[in-house]
Amino acid sequence: MNNPPSDSELDALFAQARALRPDTSRAEYGFETRLLAQLRARREAEDPWGWVAWRIAPFFAACAVGLAVFWHSEVSSEPGVAEQFASFDNADTAALWDNLN
Amino acid sequence: MVMALAESCSSDEELVEATLTGDESAFAELAGRHKSRVFGVASRFANDAAELEDICQDVFIQAYFKLRQFRRDSPFEHWLLRITTFKCYDYLRKRRRTAPSISVDALLDSGYEPSAPEARAVHPDVERLRAALAQLSPKERLVITLLELEERPVAEIAQLTGWSVANVKVRAFRARAALRKLMEK
Repeated sequence: MNNPPSDSELDALFAQARALRPDTSRAEYGFETRLLAQLRARREAEDPWGWVAWRIAPFFAACAVGLAVFWHSEVSSEPGVAEQFASFDNADTAALWDNLN
Repeated sequence: MVMALAESCSSDEELVEATLTGDESAFAELAGRHKSRVFGVASRFANDAAELEDICQDVFIQAYFKLRQFRRDSPFEHWLLRITTFKCYDYLRKRRRTAPSISVDALLDSGYEPSAPEARAVHPDVERLRAALAQLSPKERLVITLLELEERPVAEIAQLTGWSVANVKVRAFRARAALRKLMEK
């Protein structure tokens, strides 16, 4: 049977315990790497299809960009309205004007 | 590009924003900045290195998945320490449910190492104090650890735990009395 510590003794014990802060540097080493691995594992476990979708999203984005470029090049190869009017020379324009009047 | 963003960000808020847009390296940067505080608090509650790692992983995983709930009205570190406090309390409760209650002397005789994860030679009375702390209820252990070992002000403990200031004071008083009684046996 021990005597209960007085308030001052208890305070002194707390001060000693406070000073003995555990050295966690070894436990902290490489923590971020382990954390990211754990996060990926949790995410895959929770939503495997969502994770796959994120992984293949760049592929679909590249396809969309490719299609857009292809469509743009196809459209630009056809003569535009301005180019069609530009093909009329002055004689054609004068004849067209005469017919209209 | 992603790494460059994480490294170039200087404030926690920017790293939080980057994490929310899916930048994992930004969250790794946040974890690297705050892990020492989280490990420091958690080491007061963990029994060994494995439990310390588990608590800290749980803290940061919860922070990651609840990051959208982080309101920018207080620093990120305060929010993280609040999660740490709740996680430590959870571990104390779980341990309490699984471990039978025994006396401080029996606990010390059983080879229990309250000074883990980094065991080192300490005064027997301090070991006795730690063994007694391990016998307190989770709420008493939480309040006395934050108040006496982490030296947090009562108002901050109230914020971290969600208890009122008066409640923190009452629990701390009772915890101290319980501790003295446990050390008397």
